[in-house]
Formats: sequence, structure tokens, C-alpha cells
Amino acid sequence: MAELIKVIINGQDFQVEKGARLIDACRENGYSIASFCYYADLALQASCRMCLVRIEKMPKLQTSCTITCTDGMVVTTESEEIEKARRGMVEFLLANHPLDCPVCDRGGECELQEMVFDWGDLEERFTERKNYAPEKFLSPVVANDSQRCILCKRCTRVCDEWMGEDAIEAGGRGAHTVIGTYGGWLNCSQCGNCIEVCPTGTLLDATYRHQTRPWELSRTTSTCSFCSDGCQLSVGSRRGEVMRVVARDRYVNGHNGEFLCIKGRFAHPFVNHEERLRTPLVRYKKGGRLVPTTWEEAVRFAAQKLQEVKDAHGGSAIGVVGSPRLTNESNWALLRFARDVLGTDKYTASEAFSLAPFFENLSAPLATHKDIRHAKTIVLIGGEPEELQPLTGKQVRQAVRNGGAKLVIFNSVPIRLKEQAAQFVHIRPGSEDAVVLALASPGDAEVAASKLGVEADEIGKASQIISETAGDVVLMFGGELSAEAQSVVAQLPAAFGEKEGRRFLLHPLPLFNNSVGVHDLGLMNGALNPLEILDAAGSEVRALYVAGGFLPAHLEGREGALSRLDFLAVQELFLTETAEAADVIFPAASFAETDGTFTNSDGLVQRVRQSIPPVHQSKPDWAITSQLASALGTDLGFQMSSSNIFLDIAHGVPAYEGLRYPLLKDESKPVQVKHALAGRRDVTAQLAELRRALESLDENAEKITETPPVGHELFKLGVLTSKVPQFHLLAAGNPEPESVLVSPLYQITLDPGLRREAAAGD
Amino acid sequence: MSQQFTPNNPLPQEAKVPPKMAVFPPEVEAEIERHLAKYPVKRSAILPLMFIVQRERGGYLDPPGVAYLADRLGVRITDIWEVATFYSMINTEPVGRYHFQICRTLSCKILGAGKITEQCTKRLGIKPGETNDDGTFSLSEVECLGSCGTAPMMQIGFDYYENLTTEKVDELIEKCKSGELSNGVR
Repeated sequence: MAELIKVIINGQDFQVEKGARLIDACRENGYSIASFCYYADLALQASCRMCLVRIEKMPKLQTSCTITCTDGMVVTTESEEIEKARRGMVEFLLANHPLDCPVCDRGGECELQEMVFDWGDLEERFTERKNYAPEKFLSPVVANDSQRCILCKRCTRVCDEWMGEDAIEAGGRGAHTVIGTYGGWLNCSQCGNCIEVCPTGTLLDATYRHQTRPWELSRTTSTCSFCSDGCQLSVGSRRGEVMRVVARDRYVNGHNGEFLCIKGRFAHPFVNHEERLRTPLVRYKKGGRLVPTTWEEAVRFAAQKLQEVKDAHGGSAIGVVGSPRLTNESNWALLRFARDVLGTDKYTASEAFSLAPFFENLSAPLATHKDIRHAKTIVLIGGEPEELQPLTGKQVRQAVRNGGAKLVIFNSVPIRLKEQAAQFVHIRPGSEDAVVLALASPGDAEVAASKLGVEADEIGKASQIISETAGDVVLMFGGELSAEAQSVVAQLPAAFGEKEGRRFLLHPLPLFNNSVGVHDLGLMNGALNPLEILDAAGSEVRALYVAGGFLPAHLEGREGALSRLDFLAVQELFLTETAEAADVIFPAASFAETDGTFTNSDGLVQRVRQSIPPVHQSKPDWAITSQLASALGTDLGFQMSSSNIFLDIAHGVPAYEGLRYPLLKDESKPVQVKHALAGRRDVTAQLAELRRALESLDENAEKITETPPVGHELFKLGVLTSKVPQFHLLAAGNPEPESVLVSPLYQITLDPGLRREAAAGD
Repeated sequence: MSQQFTPNNPLPQEAKVPPKMAVFPPEVEAEIERHLAKYPVKRSAILPLMFIVQRERGGYLDPPGVAYLADRLGVRITDIWEVATFYSMINTEPVGRYHFQICRTLSCKILGAGKITEQCTKRLGIKPGETNDDGTFSLSEVECLGSCGTAPMMQIGFDYYENLTTEKVDELIEKCKSGELSNGVR
């Protein structure tokens, strides 16, 4: 507990923490203070001058956003003098503002609009001509109307401090200052956070531009369905169509604050895309055509076929494949289906890599994103969070820049986060395992260093940073690690031993929104992994029931596998590679159309809420599974309710014990699942395996010296992102259109050859 | 879906390549080194370096010049843009050989800066913010140049011309046209 000091606000005594910012102290104690440019956890600006207060013994009014509370400070937040100053400031802010609220997308949820209602006068005294600039596009997803700007510079600070990109800046000076970028075309990761934090209609979502007004939207708080960060977002929908996704703090208060990345914010049009499957499809004869049919017929046919396979070869000849993209409820329904209906142990999830060895040996709690922000040392082995888990990347960056944390990166690629690193250890490609070995057993460090292609003392230095830390140490690792290395990482805290005031936290970097969830449920503990299931197709595995599709990486080199099956049932959003081979396709509902939960990489269980009715004839995945189970003569007992399934999970999975939907109601207080912590385990076998693997590493392998371009993973076209036209432009290198006054979508036709390869995890 | 991908103006596009970096002769590099050595933090040398790059790149900061500055100072391209657009003596667009910068702030304005600008426009055939066709003259209006005691005044390159009258302006323009006058770039 920090030291408390006394501050007198408007004649009342308050105890506040030493070092607290005055504006926060006033707000926490119920005195509202107007402000534009103040934004918690960003550098101070004090340019809007709305937060003026009178402090005794100080000359003039003071900006409360830049004042740190001191003991005995006497503050007045409301007086005639302050009101006059505030009204004067609003008048100044409006000197160049066009007041075109009726045609502005931000109208109705605009901070400036609210402030003018509160503190503006009816008449303006300025009669001079206002600055004029046409509305224009800064990128395929960001539109800009510079005349509405009040120069609070939240966007430039967010771009610099959150994203580390500095793509957007204020150019010019005085009344002619404009927010923009060199050359007028943004070449950044297109996160759109500048749009989110803008208190006016200056920066706008170009994909949502002029489509609805904010008050026409119904809003649903939900969880993002892309990466494992699990950002909380507000889905705005109108008449069964998802119109936009925002994280604005007036609508949602998740652990991500107002942060979202390009996928979370702009990739939602896949939900209402015209290529969504409309009806169930059935292929009655192998080699025949897929024909649209009714739900009853499709379920009857699938049940009949599964029954035939079960009768002929036994239940264990049927494989069930879940997906780390689906909710816990849908995956649990699949697992129950596999166990209780089919009696098969051949279940798995189409996951890029399994975290099972990590969780088995887990010896320290999982780090939440909040922990990462306040950590003192962060160690990153492999991975590229700024592209694959953007929120994690942002938290790491802020921990270093605003929190003074030390970042140690072991990576074969000079990733962008390197700029923030206290130590960057540039290793050879594919040698991430050797890093783990070197950290866990210092005796091997010298040999490992020569294989890694680094100086011998670099690993020692990194170890020293870790052992000298007072505070939290967060160990992060990407998907490059082998199963043995994962086990050793999970036990690394033991290798460093106990130290007063130091706490180890672990943070895996899986690729999908529910990667941790499918692991927790036990779906990954089946007899075969996705690759083995595909290899066994046609022999051990005669039929498959797949929810979501296999990853392109799984199918690569196994193209014929699916056609060797006697029967394949798939539930999907789109006609993917997996679905095309199916005998029965059920149209599934997307994340915006179902209720459920996702478990993110922090182990936080967060609600997914239905925002629109399922499009066309689609149904939630768990509903399809239980309907199929009923047709096969087993009632899974879900009574068509996702909360019943979650109750079943809470009873069946120890880590989820006691969790209920009502406990997950408040997105600002997320609940972390209780992963069982293993004590100190003997990992000598794994270390020996790592040593063996170390031998075979190539000592002359070339290092990758080039920093990959911004967006090389974010803009890749996956099944979902390829449904968004803006992503095609970005994937093609974000070409600058001839005119920025019109959306580039209407000016540029893409040569398909320019498109990059499909996303790794999509 | 509400927004369809309906391209109607086919335009073959190359993926954007970052601008090439400018290369300078050794004596210029030495000059740049001298400036960099003066400051404990590299990026503090942004203004002197901008003047050098502007001089060497034909009077304005072209994309290769900006890329060079960003690389040399360890800042991002947008930081260069931010500073360059703040100062009227740094040009981000090509300017003519003689760049007339007429002060339009209070003292000069009161003492007839408007007339001076008008005279320039009449004689040169360009409005403020423009460059004439053969690239000899550029005209711009700038904020206070700190020479209020001798208002109205203007700057050509780095040289001040003070206590201006329309006759003096005519004379200056003639001298420029004949090439007698220095363009004030150093």
C-alpha cells in the first residue's frame, strides 16, 4: 500500500495515494473534470486546457492533468473563474471547428459535442473565416477530416507509445497544424487506435463511414475472435448486420482498454459476407454434387452415415476435430459427442501447436496483460507478439517505455519490439530450443551459444537480468518451441530459485482466441493430433466430424487425405478447403451470432455474446452437435442453452470449477481460471532431449538480418480476413491511390499475383 | 454485405517501396558529422542537418533526403515531416532559385506588407505559395522574421531586405532576373 496524503478538494478532506495525479484524484472522489487531451497511461500533453483548477498558493489556474498531488494541497474545481476559463476554452476549440455534427460519423458519441453541450455558449464571437480542408483517406481503413481536429494529439501519442510506429504526427504550426503523415498515405499496422481515442470526428473508421449513426446501433459486449489476447469489444449491429466493432470505454471496459488491432476492429465484415453458407449441404454419393437441403434431412443423413461407420468399424473409427476458434461450449459439446455418443478417443482440435507439455509442468501462474504492463523484466523467446498478439506487444512496449521494465528478446528475426529491448539476442533460425536449454542449465550455455551464433556471455547477461529482478519476471514464448522445451520453460522458475520480492509469471503466445480453452477442456488430449488424424484417414479413421476447418498447414502435403474417408461432416462459416471435401456441411454461426466463452492466453474466461441472430440458416456449433447427438439417440442434456453447457464444463473441468455465466458478467473484472500448478518436476529427460537436439543444429546457418515489414502477419489473407476488401489492398503492400479523396477500393484493381501467401494460422 | 469490392478504375499498382536514401559527397558528410558531434543526443541536430540536406538536394527536402535524415538521426520519417512543416525556412516542396519570403505579421502588415506582396504578384505573375514556370521565383508569406524595426521586410534565401517599397521590390526583381543578386542560400 502506497503512502497516503491529504488533499482538500472543494473544502472536503480526501486521502489519496502519494504520487497520484490531481485530475484522477478529483475524478475518483466524485468531482467531474472536463478534459480532452488527458489520457491515462499516455505522456502528458496539457494542450486542451479544459481541466483547469484553482490551487491555493499557486498563481493562475493550473491544468490538473499535469499536477501531482502533494500533502495539504487545497484545490477548487468549481468556481465562477474556472467556469469562465472553461467556456473560453471551448470557444477557442470551436474557432476552427466546422460544427458539421449532422453529417459527422462521430455525432452522438463525440466528446467535443458533449463538451459543447455542457460548456459551450450559444453564440460564437469569431466571425473570421474558418480553415477548410476536404475529407480524405489516410489509408484503406482510416479516413481523416482535419478541420474537425482540436489538436489534443491523443492519436499521435497512442501511435507512438502503444504501437511504437509514430506513423501519424502533427504537421504545420499554429492554427494551421494538421494531423497527418509524411506523403499523406499511412504505411503502418492500421490498428485504428487513433480512430478510437479521437475525441472528435477527425479520424474516422473508413469502413463504417456514412453507414449508420451511433444511436441506431445495438451494442453487444463480446470477445474478439482472432488472436489469443482476448480483447473485449463492443459489436455495433443494426437489423441483423454487424456494422462496426469498437472498444471505446463508454461502451466496454475490458483488459485491453480502448486498444484493438486491425483484425479485431476491421475484419468483422466476414460475419455478413455473401459467401457465408446459407443452408445445410449434402453430397449423397461420393464424387457427386453438394445439394442444398433442410436441417432435418442433413442431420438425418449425417446420423445415418455415422451410425453405419460405427456399426461397421466401431465408434473409434470416427474422429472428431474441434477448433481453437470456437467457443468453449462448442468444443465441450464436441468432446462430449466424441466420448458419450461415439465412444471414440480420436478427438483433437485443429490447433497449430499443443500447449499440453507446458500446462502439465506449469510451475508459476499465467501472466495477465495487466501483469505484463507492470512487470520489471520480460523475457521473450521466439514469437512476434506485435504481429500475432498485438495487445501483448503493446503491453510489453508500454512496460518498457512507461514502466521502465527490462526486455530481453531471443529471436531469430530482428522483430520490431527489438527497439525496446534492453538486450536483443539474435539467434540462428530454428534454435529457440537451445535458448531454453541454456537458460535452464547454465552448464550448457557455452555450447548452446556457439550453436546459437551468439557471444558466450550474452546468455549469462540475460540470466543475470532475470536473477537480479526485484518484482515480476514474465517469461513469454512463441510457437517455435518443441514439446520438451515447453516443459522446461514451464519449470524455468525453479531453475532460478526463490528470491525475496521476485515473482515469476508465464505467458504462452498461442495463435488463436481459444487455444488455451481447447487445451483446458481436454480436447487436445485425444489419441491423435490433427496431423495424425489426417494420416490415418481411410485406415484407422473411417469418418470425421469436423467443426471449423483444418489449417492450411495441416492439409499441406495431405491433400488426398480427406477424400479417403468414408464420410466427412463439417460445420463451417465458408466453403473452405475442408468443407469442399465434405459429405455433409452444416452452416455454423460466427462469434457474433453465438453465446459462449473464450479463454485467452492469460487464462481469462471471457464472455462471447450474441449480437445478431444467426445469418441465413446457420446455427451455433454446439446446437448442431447436440442435434446430431439426439439423432444418434443420445441426449447430451444441454437443453439448447449455452449456459447449461458452461455449467457442465464447470462440473467436468477442475480449472473451471465454480465458474458460472453470472460471474463472468462484468468484462472489467475478468476471471482467471485456476490452472493446477505443478511443483518442482524433474526435467532431466527433457533437458537430455534438448541436448541431443542441440547437436544436430547447423552451426553455419545464415541469420535473418532484415526486420520484416509492418503487417507481414497481420495483413495476411486468411479464411476470415480475405472476406474484407481492405485487407486485400493491405496484403498487396497498401498501394497509394491516385486521389485520396475517394476510397482506394474504388480506384485500385489488384493483380492477384501481388497477394501474399495465406495466413499461417487461419 | 454493405460494402462491395467494385473496382471501376483499373490501375496497375506496384507494392510500395520505401524511398531511396540520398547519398552525399564526403565533404558534406564531414560537415554533417561536425554538427552531430555538437549534441549529446543525435536527434537534436535535426535543424542544422535539415538545412544542409535542403541545400544539397536542390532547395527542398525530397523523399530521399527525408529518408537520409530519418536514418542519420535515428528518428522516424514522420518526425522529420513534423519538424520540416513547422518551419517556414524548410521547404517540403520544390522552390525556385529566388525564394521571396514576405513577412506578414503585425508590424510589417501595418506598414504595407500587403502592398509588397501585391507588387511581387504583379511583377512575377505568381501568387503566394506558387513557383513560376521556369523555376526562377517562388513567393510565400511567412510569419514574423524578427525585424520589426525595419518593416516591411522580406527574406530571399537567408538574406534580409528591409524597409521595402514597391520601387525597391521592382529593383530587386530586376537584379534577380539579371543574376546579379545572390539567392541567399548558404
